Amino acid sequence: MAQIETELQLLKTEAINMWSLVNSQLSKARQSFVTFDKDLAREVVLKEKRVNGSELKIDRDCENIFALFCPVAIDLRFLLAVLKINSNLERIGDIAEGVAKYIIDAESPFSEELLKVSRILPMYEESVNMLTDTQDAFEKEDTILARSVFKKDDFLDNVNKSSHKVLEEYIKAHPEETSQALWILSTIRKLERVGDQAKNIAEEIIFYLEAKVLKHKGKFA
Amino acid sequence: MESTIIKSRNFNASFGTNHVVKNVNIDIPRNHIIAVMGPSGCGKTTYLRCINRMHELIPGATSNGEMKLNEEDVYQMHPIFVRLKIGMVFQRPNPFPNLSIYDNVIAGYKLNGIKLPKAQRDEIVERSLTKVAMWKEVKDSLQKKGSFLSGGQQQRLCIARTVAMEPEVILFDEPTSALDPISTSTVEELFHELKTNYTLIIVTHNMQQAARVSDKTAFFFLGELVEYDETKTMFTNPKDNRTQNYITGRFS
Amino acid sequence: MDGKNIKLRLGKSYGFQWLIYVLAFACLLPLLAILFYIVKAGITKINWHFLVNIPKPVGESGGGIANALVGSIIIILVASIIAIPIGIMAGVYLSENRRSRLAYWCRLSTDILQGVPSIVVGIVAYFWLVRPWSIPLGIFHWHITNKGGFSAVSGSFALAIMMLPIIVRSTEETLKLLPDTLKEAALALGMPFHRVIFKVIVPVGISGILSGVMLSVARITGETAPLLFTAFGNPYLSVNIGKPMQSLPLLIFNYATSPYTDWLNLAWGASLILLFWVLFLNIFTKVITRKWKVQL
Repeated sequence: MAQIETELQLLKTEAINMWSLVNSQLSKARQSFVTFDKDLAREVVLKEKRVNGSELKIDRDCENIFALFCPVAIDLRFLLAVLKINSNLERIGDIAEGVAKYIIDAESPFSEELLKVSRILPMYEESVNMLTDTQDAFEKEDTILARSVFKKDDFLDNVNKSSHKVLEEYIKAHPEETSQALWILSTIRKLERVGDQAKNIAEEIIFYLEAKVLKHKGKFA
Repeated sequence: MESTIIKSRNFNASFGTNHVVKNVNIDIPRNHIIAVMGPSGCGKTTYLRCINRMHELIPGATSNGEMKLNEEDVYQMHPIFVRLKIGMVFQRPNPFPNLSIYDNVIAGYKLNGIKLPKAQRDEIVERSLTKVAMWKEVKDSLQKKGSFLSGGQQQRLCIARTVAMEPEVILFDEPTSALDPISTSTVEELFHELKTNYTLIIVTHNMQQAARVSDKTAFFFLGELVEYDETKTMFTNPKDNRTQNYITGRFS
Repeated sequence: MDGKNIKLRLGKSYGFQWLIYVLAFACLLPLLAILFYIVKAGITKINWHFLVNIPKPVGESGGGIANALVGSIIIILVASIIAIPIGIMAGVYLSENRRSRLAYWCRLSTDILQGVPSIVVGIVAYFWLVRPWSIPLGIFHWHITNKGGFSAVSGSFALAIMMLPIIVRSTEETLKLLPDTLKEAALALGMPFHRVIFKVIVPVGISGILSGVMLSVARITGETAPLLFTAFGNPYLSVNIGKPMQSLPLLIFNYATSPYTDWLNLAWGASLILLFWVLFLNIFTKVITRKWKVQL
């Protein structure tokens, strides 16, 4: 195997490891959200350092491969995609940390009704699925799977759009849960950004595999 | 344990009054691949030829300074011994045209009059050809003449011939500049495998090759050693401006 | 450009082409004429007796050229033994040293030697080896003495001098054509210089060197003038190189101008043999050169 192939293979493995790391961060944050487990939340905050470290390493490795091997064609697209996916994943990691931080600071768990009305749990579930789907699409080089992520984002946008109204009404009805409701609103915004990041990642995957640029093209390419 | 196998201190070389290599100080670590790059006429090939004392064969060529192989000064040793320990592969593949592939590989022994039993000769030929990933290709046509091979195969045959002598260091003088891209990449893959047993010093005017292949790179310019560093550093953040200008193609 | 002009030019071109063919053929004519004439005159004279008998005295029929054949072979052999090693060594020296003073003088001498008339070479050999001389050495009446007298070895010596320039030049040219990379490859393997020359350079250039050698042999096979006052000739079969010896050109020279038909016949037959020998050597050289030529 040529030297560049070995290096690209290593980079792919590193990227997938980072994916798994961020995925577990997001999932753990969700878990702590559901069970109101502050210890788990603290774990997520601590692990954020690893996510940052991983991002720096992948950046450096990409730089080295560019400098040493002057890749072209699919290798070049792969590296450009990995660079961008890298920063997308890091931001998702930040969001997971943010959610965990809320849990640490929150005084009491969220009520069942609030959770149900806001639809935050299915939204959360879906965002984690989106991330997992992009990981699989990257690993298996599956553009169909990557494209399916766009549709999932619709659901997240939906929840996000309606959240303002829904929560406004809820606060009117349950003023004692205002603080929690506001946390939920914030978290919904954050999760919507997770969906956007996942969509960007999917776009990059399609770019790398098919050389098609889907950015800024609207919903359909 | 990393140790220095070749050390140069204040090394100079000239062709008559033409001072071509100026005051070179370099430490080459064992079992590494060192690339030596620079524009044409910068002294890199001359320096390479000084290491195994091929430079002095040119009439009017002189050199001075310290050049040590394993702490022994190469210029105090007999040139024949130096060349047995430091092999060289040239730009144009040059297998001996009147010898078969088999005889080419053990040419270093046979033509030097060293008599070896047939079993040992066979073993050396097989081992050397395996090291250059050619054994399977040619094992049924060992008696054919070397000049019927393709360019890339001829160059690998020359490498096998050098490797058969079990040198400690192998010098390469632009080894792939006469080859097509596929043969070039076959030879480049060899370098990584040879690294485990030998130290390789490769002069190349192709800096992408230097980047792909080497652990450390030395940049020569106008006879001086301008920069010598890890290849990764050299190509992402060189310390000297001249290096940066050369690598980015600001001047050739 | 009108039609008439073009026709004229085409005509000229065609005529010129035709002229070249005719002249080229004309070059072939002398060779064909010689071959034809000699074959016609000599072929009937050759038989087994012819090859194994020595010439009979005048008056007796029969006889052959055995002594001349054997003599030629011996003289050429000795000349080769003298000239080939010296010639190849000198050629090797010249190809390795392009610019030294010795190389300059060596090359100059070789060129001049090539132009020396063969009879002058013969005379020189006569004075050095055939006339008796002695050089005093020291005060105790020690001498280096040459008893003199015609001998085969003096003839070989003269012929060797004529062979030398050809061998030296062709060796030098052959070795000069070999790429430097060959030498470099050998040196880089730790070979001492003498081995590089004799185990690598010379074997690769062997076909060119050999062709030079064969050409020089073909050249001296028919040389008569140097042998006139050195080998001198001998009516009997002899293998003693210190004594006069017969050779084919000498026999032809002596017998072709004699008034006796027997001897004339011998001369014709000998001419044919000599012709075929030279022809064969040339063809053999070409075949061997092609077969042994190393594809670089």
